[in-house]
Amino acid sequence: MLRLRGLLIQHHFLSNCSARTASSVACREYDVIVVGGGHAGTEAAAAATRIGAETLLITQKIETIGALSCNPSLGGVGKGQLVKEVDALDGLMGRAGDYAGVHFSILNRRKGPAVWGPRAQLDRGRYKEFIQLELLNMPRLTVIEGSVEGLLVSTADPEQPGKHTVTGVRLADGGNEILSSSVILTTGTFLSGSLFMGKTTSPGGRMGEPPSCSGLTHSLREILGLKLGRLKTGTPPRIVKETVDFSLAHLHLPDLRPTPFSFINTHTHCKEQIPCHLTYTTPGVDRVVRESLHMNSHIQQDTKGPRYCPSIESRVLRFPGRQHQVWLEPEGLNSDLLYPQGLSMTMPLEMQLRLIREIPALQRADIHTPGYGVQYDFVCPTQLFPWLQLKSIQGLFLAGQINGTTGYEEAAAQGLWAGINAGRTALSMPPLSLSRTESYIGVLIDDLVGHGVTEPYRMFTSRAEFRTSLRPDNADLRLTPKGFEEIGCVSSPRYLEAVRVRQGLSEALSALKSITMSPSRWKEKLRDACISETKSTLISGEEMLQYKDVSFDMVASAFPEILSPYLEFSERIKIEAVYRPHCEKQQREMERMREEESLSLCPDIDYFSLPVSLSDEVREILDRVRPSTLGAAMRLQGVTPAAIVHLLNYVTRTGPTLHLTLLPLL
Amino acid sequence: MMFACCRRNTFLITHKRLRLGFRCASSASSTAEPADTIFALSSGQGRCGVAVVRVTGPAAGGALRRVAGLSCGLPAPRTALLRSIVHPQSKEVLDRGLVLWFPGPHSFTGEDIAEFHIHGGPAVISGVLQALGSLPGLRPAEAGEFTRRAFHAGKLDLTEVEGLGDLIHAETQAQRRQALRQMAGDLGHLYNGWSEQLKRCLAHVEAFIDFSEGDLIEDGVLNQVDIAVPQLQMEIEKHLCDERRGERLRSGVQVVIAGSTNAGKSSLFNILCQRPAAIVSPIAGTTRDIVETSLDIGGFPVLLSDTAGLRDTGDCVEREGVRRARQMVGLADLTLVLVDSMQLPQEPQMVSGFLSEYLKNVLPSAKDHEQGYVLILNKSDLLPKEHISMIQNVLTQTSDMAPVSILSCHSREGLDDFLTLLQDRLKTLCGDPLAGSPSLTQTRHRAHLQKCVDALNQYYEYRDTDLALAAEGLRLGLSSLGRITGKGS
Repeated sequence: MLRLRGLLIQHHFLSNCSARTASSVACREYDVIVVGGGHAGTEAAAAATRIGAETLLITQKIETIGALSCNPSLGGVGKGQLVKEVDALDGLMGRAGDYAGVHFSILNRRKGPAVWGPRAQLDRGRYKEFIQLELLNMPRLTVIEGSVEGLLVSTADPEQPGKHTVTGVRLADGGNEILSSSVILTTGTFLSGSLFMGKTTSPGGRMGEPPSCSGLTHSLREILGLKLGRLKTGTPPRIVKETVDFSLAHLHLPDLRPTPFSFINTHTHCKEQIPCHLTYTTPGVDRVVRESLHMNSHIQQDTKGPRYCPSIESRVLRFPGRQHQVWLEPEGLNSDLLYPQGLSMTMPLEMQLRLIREIPALQRADIHTPGYGVQYDFVCPTQLFPWLQLKSIQGLFLAGQINGTTGYEEAAAQGLWAGINAGRTALSMPPLSLSRTESYIGVLIDDLVGHGVTEPYRMFTSRAEFRTSLRPDNADLRLTPKGFEEIGCVSSPRYLEAVRVRQGLSEALSALKSITMSPSRWKEKLRDACISETKSTLISGEEMLQYKDVSFDMVASAFPEILSPYLEFSERIKIEAVYRPHCEKQQREMERMREEESLSLCPDIDYFSLPVSLSDEVREILDRVRPSTLGAAMRLQGVTPAAIVHLLNYVTRTGPTLHLTLLPLL
Repeated sequence: MMFACCRRNTFLITHKRLRLGFRCASSASSTAEPADTIFALSSGQGRCGVAVVRVTGPAAGGALRRVAGLSCGLPAPRTALLRSIVHPQSKEVLDRGLVLWFPGPHSFTGEDIAEFHIHGGPAVISGVLQALGSLPGLRPAEAGEFTRRAFHAGKLDLTEVEGLGDLIHAETQAQRRQALRQMAGDLGHLYNGWSEQLKRCLAHVEAFIDFSEGDLIEDGVLNQVDIAVPQLQMEIEKHLCDERRGERLRSGVQVVIAGSTNAGKSSLFNILCQRPAAIVSPIAGTTRDIVETSLDIGGFPVLLSDTAGLRDTGDCVEREGVRRARQMVGLADLTLVLVDSMQLPQEPQMVSGFLSEYLKNVLPSAKDHEQGYVLILNKSDLLPKEHISMIQNVLTQTSDMAPVSILSCHSREGLDDFLTLLQDRLKTLCGDPLAGSPSLTQTRHRAHLQKCVDALNQYYEYRDTDLALAAEGLRLGLSSLGRITGKGS
């Protein structure tokens, strides 16, 4: 009666209890069902189980859980912060990166610690291995193979906002139904996905894998009435390593001492790091792109692609005549393949080969797997609450590329947050949202649900207005205590470590403050530092660290008896000392934003009939986006300060008179 | 339950708006319901040729039809129509005047507006206002309610609202011109222009931070910022260095008459006020306290003060008066230093030396000299003509002496020349509101601009060591500018 393919793929490390047949799960009911085993799905399933929910992960192939379907790297500018935050909330990604990393470097090293981008090249096999090992041994988590055909939906709980409520999923191939109170969809590019190469198109979300059922798209669009959009992305051909002439490329070495992503790792797994190589495109590449345009249906589509990770076709068309960087990245320690970052392309295979051979280092290179493009549906994320549940469907959560984002880190961050909230909802706890003032995850989700997307959304440091406070170095202080005390998604050893670090840092800073001397005395103590002696006032140790070339180690060597216990925090103390005055300045503004966010707007306000003076334009915007807080409303483009005053007036109208007078003269 | 919030939060939010330039206050007056239709006399109080009464709100059209007797419909929008104004109940004809119809949203408040241009007699005005008040759904406007509605409808930004407020309160022609310029958005344009420039700089720095590791940005973006930021900073600083001209024009120039006893200070004061505001007597030390009045001199607002004559005295009341006089001189934008010509040395060559000493006594600190003064030799009628021209010759040769006016408060001789001189000085002090870049008119603007300049310094400070903190400087600068126009950043 069941015809699900290879239900029980037993890995050598797989414990017997975690993967079950669909027949044994069909009669069970779960708290949370996660559909999809990518970065969003794995973090979602792990987070839901961490907070105590009985969770089921349904994936097409257990073997592809934790697969890096595009680039073999993690982190970077803006994205590195997300990895650190996912780790601070006890997610998998950071630890997996430390286990699988083969080439660690911190980008933006000279631009200040707030915008440092921790990044690593990964060994694909090891990454997958780590994620599968974690998931398949996780208590309260069941993993099965299967394809979800549709959602089980019933009428909504009238006490809660929403038109429907989700009660489970129906599997393809036999129509088994599995019940649960929360469902998280993390189907990535598989929602009505089509693959493109040259002029051929085939259904699918990733090359070499069967397409997901069209039933899900149908459920979302037709039955649940959701607004969907379409986006595209692509991946480069993989190149056979031994056919590459590295002598014609620039060697790029990793950081001498790799910095782990995870706050609970003191070092990374890889014993010997491996290099990357950098090379450039030539005019010949431009020529091939132009010659192949008529055979390239993906590039001719109007669908929006990732602007910040463009295909070689769009780069050449946008900046003709320019040399473009091509990074030759290892696919793993023992892999025979190279990933040419920057050469994502969708032209026919023979043209792909011609193109790469226009690059000197690749003039004799062979292609192992061709590049291709993907077009897929996404659900317009303005239909979500900040806890990633759909506003119109109780219990249905979305995370990852299905929300219009691009990137592993963005997917993982959403997955984690959706997992926490799906679990909480199932366990009858109120949902939670993260503020823009405390995390990049908060920024990411607030941007998605507040503004929606018109092109694949990628994280940048400039999206965070409180960037100087939301640094990669302090993600643990910002999130781990909250994760343990309020959310319950953090294990106690990690929590205790964060508390120990917090204590150490605060003691070290007090100790530094207690050391005060005149500039000339400091000069005697720290001979190498250039300190201006013009200042007549006393300078504290903390202020000394604000000098560019004064490190904590220098000050500590001058006062070993007071400061040597804190040498393990050396770099963090230096960063704290430099940034603290600036963060204190931001504090008031952050509080203001938190206050605005604490003022929530009911999701079913009828903005068109609201008896306040709002322009039709503003009413439309508010009606479309339905901001959940006044703060979110303020950040909407096109909503004037006057409109906010009105909303505020409306909020206060039922209470005693609070009168807003605008001007001293009026 | 529409809003899950407590009132305390609401207050906090309101305070936040305050920082953005809104003012909030608890008030006993009723919150204006946008649905209300309000009316008010929009022209000034008192007798005038034409008075304008405005009605705004959903019932404005109905009111217009009933009061102007338009049974077949409303007049064409924005077209004047001569009608009899009739009391809707008694049907009595109150006046004959022009009526205008401005349907929303293309009106000043964004709502429907009706305007009545009627004769300015108090009886007519109150008659029309009473007639409007008798209509259901209409009530008299609270102070500033029209502007507030315009603001709420998104018709004005904060500088424009302030400009309008000033226009309503403009007591002099020059003030009115400045207010008009500001309301037209000149100042807003200037600040918005700066905001745009700064936004571009910030975008460049942000792009450099987020993309410079790849090759998705143009070369040299940071160099452009290094050129643009100092330029912008210089422009704002120049604007700040206008020596408070705009603020002076808005609140009035402080002009103080000072000098030794019995030099004729109070006489000059009375002449300028055109009324005997201060007591004048031949007795030295008659004026013991500050006498103040506000005047319009050549279109410029002036706060004129008469002070006690400066002398050492045993009288404790007079001593306090002298102390106040000196304090007043310290605060003045312009000091009129009055000299009794009879006290001048007989020998004309000695005059400039005497005047230097005299000035030092009246304006003891160098700061006072910078603030500007005019020397006035009074009682010229008591000197022979030849003697006066000799003094004038000596003074024109002494280059370091400020302009000297020789006049007589008694005979009024030389007074016209003095007034011309005074007007020129006021013009320099206030700036010509129609020329050059618009001046700063609000202390609030000054504070935010200063903050912006300081924030831009942070860019240089960190440019080479920490670009994130450098960018933060630009961000702070941008938000300071945004706070002036109330548009946020």
